[in-house]
Amino acid sequence: MSRVELLSPEGLRIDGRRPAELRKITSTTAVLSQADGSAYLEHGNTKVLAAVYGPREARHRALVLHDRAIINVEFNVAPFSTGERRRRTKNDKRLLEMASFVKQTFEPVVVTTLYARSQIDIYLQIIQHDGGTLQACINAATMALIDAGIAMTDYVCACTAGWVEREAAIDLNHIEESSDTSEVTVAMLPKSGKITLMQMESRLHVDKLEEVLSLAGEGCKQMHVVMDKTIRDRAEDLAAKMAV
Amino acid sequence: MPSLISPAERDYILKGVECNIRADGRQRPDYREVILETGVVSQTSGSARVRIAGGTDVLVSVKAEIGPVQVDPETGDGADKGQIICSVECAPSASQQFEGRGADDLNNEITQMMSRILCNNTTSSYTSTAASTTGSSTTASRQSSGPGGINLQKLCIIPGQQCWILYIDALILDYGGNLMDAIFMGTRAAIFDTRIPKTEVQDLGDGQFEFEVLDDAEDTDPVEGREDMPICITLNKIGACHIVDASPLEELCTEARLVVAVNRSGQLCGLQKGQEGGIEPSLLLEMIQFGKTMGQTLIKQLDTKIKAEADADLAKRQRGEPVHKLGFFAQ
Repeated sequence: MSRVELLSPEGLRIDGRRPAELRKITSTTAVLSQADGSAYLEHGNTKVLAAVYGPREARHRALVLHDRAIINVEFNVAPFSTGERRRRTKNDKRLLEMASFVKQTFEPVVVTTLYARSQIDIYLQIIQHDGGTLQACINAATMALIDAGIAMTDYVCACTAGWVEREAAIDLNHIEESSDTSEVTVAMLPKSGKITLMQMESRLHVDKLEEVLSLAGEGCKQMHVVMDKTIRDRAEDLAAKMAV
Repeated sequence: MPSLISPAERDYILKGVECNIRADGRQRPDYREVILETGVVSQTSGSARVRIAGGTDVLVSVKAEIGPVQVDPETGDGADKGQIICSVECAPSASQQFEGRGADDLNNEITQMMSRILCNNTTSSYTSTAASTTGSSTTASRQSSGPGGINLQKLCIIPGQQCWILYIDALILDYGGNLMDAIFMGTRAAIFDTRIPKTEVQDLGDGQFEFEVLDDAEDTDPVEGREDMPICITLNKIGACHIVDASPLEELCTEARLVVAVNRSGQLCGLQKGQEGGIEPSLLLEMIQFGKTMGQTLIKQLDTKIKAEADADLAKRQRGEPVHKLGFFAQ
């Protein structure tokens, strides 16, 4: 297999970014009419739509928790989202795993005790895949939860980082991801600096881990700024409209 | 997607339709505003997003891939034809009822209908018109491709072996009534946006062929026969009248639904009656006639919009400017 040159001699990455540079992030909230909260996020060429329903009555009696809400996450990948068309079934193991990651990430952040005996559904739809779907999904879900007005202790900001050839880099795209680079996805609460999710693929030397993690942390902080701006802009826009 | 309606709401809608004024101020034959954009998903051969102002949001993508031809074992048809494979998926973001396997029935129903209208090409009509070359070329090409419009013969690369398969995937992201019309508008726009790479076939002798896909993004073919693709108009019978582009609440008051598929020359390409109520034969004919004229005007308007957008994009590319797509930022 011919290896692609992932890092140029000048230290630029395959898409022209510097190692600690995020891709262009654009996002908006309240894009859907039926959902209680929704958000759309573009992370470079990765495009994700998140919809939140609830808190509402739990669908299955057996699952009801008497002191808090249950969070249910469903993952969907559009058949045209990847380079080669591929239909995924609803019980694709990889998707179920991703869904459980997202669920575990949000359980400590959402104040579920406020919504006893109810259910909060998070539906994630990947429209275009270009690396870093898990981080994009977590970020989109955070914004959708905020849009739905669900109580949370903090934002959840996610970012990937990895070791690309000879340097640590953040926000890997599909080419970097698929050429055997080690990749860590980290989700962080920006206020307390706590990490709610960490997931690593492939292998990485322990000595390099700290550098990669600190870079991922930086990325999360940058994500927080971007997401907070979108949320505040939307809120101001709404307030201005209501004042008229 | 609401599933219940109160008697008072139902009464309000029924009386309103009778007086030709609907809950959102429209008259019976009025469409809501439609937002349409093509080329929104870069990894596809062609894509389009349609949003109807009330909420319906559909993303349609077309992907052209190379695969073996499908020959019908009984008739031997299809050796010289490409294929179109449709699939519709309702995302749970559109409605809570679509969670898990909740959307399977609806997905299947719409997929089957799309396949019936778009893929049902008959070879028999092709051979007969090809034999009578006296007819004008436009009518010959129209009849050659059956109700679906798209010329499948042109999608064949090596007869009996390889062909282009067009995968049409519609993803329903939000629900605000009138899904069918939105899907078909999106499909038409996505097919217009589709570019198929050119291929070169080499004859190696003794029935052996080899082909090469030309890797030139500038030099590609549009889908032939795309102008003759049908779109559909859904007519909802409420009381003694019929309306188009129903909102979700109006759909709940609908006694009977009629989907009329029509192409630009006004030929009927498909009909389907849905829901439990009946339609009187005289009203049925009136509805079909209305759907036909409505469909033709809609196709005309749609084509002008698609062409204007394609021209604007092309002009930008020629000037070397980047083409920005709004995608979900267009509200």
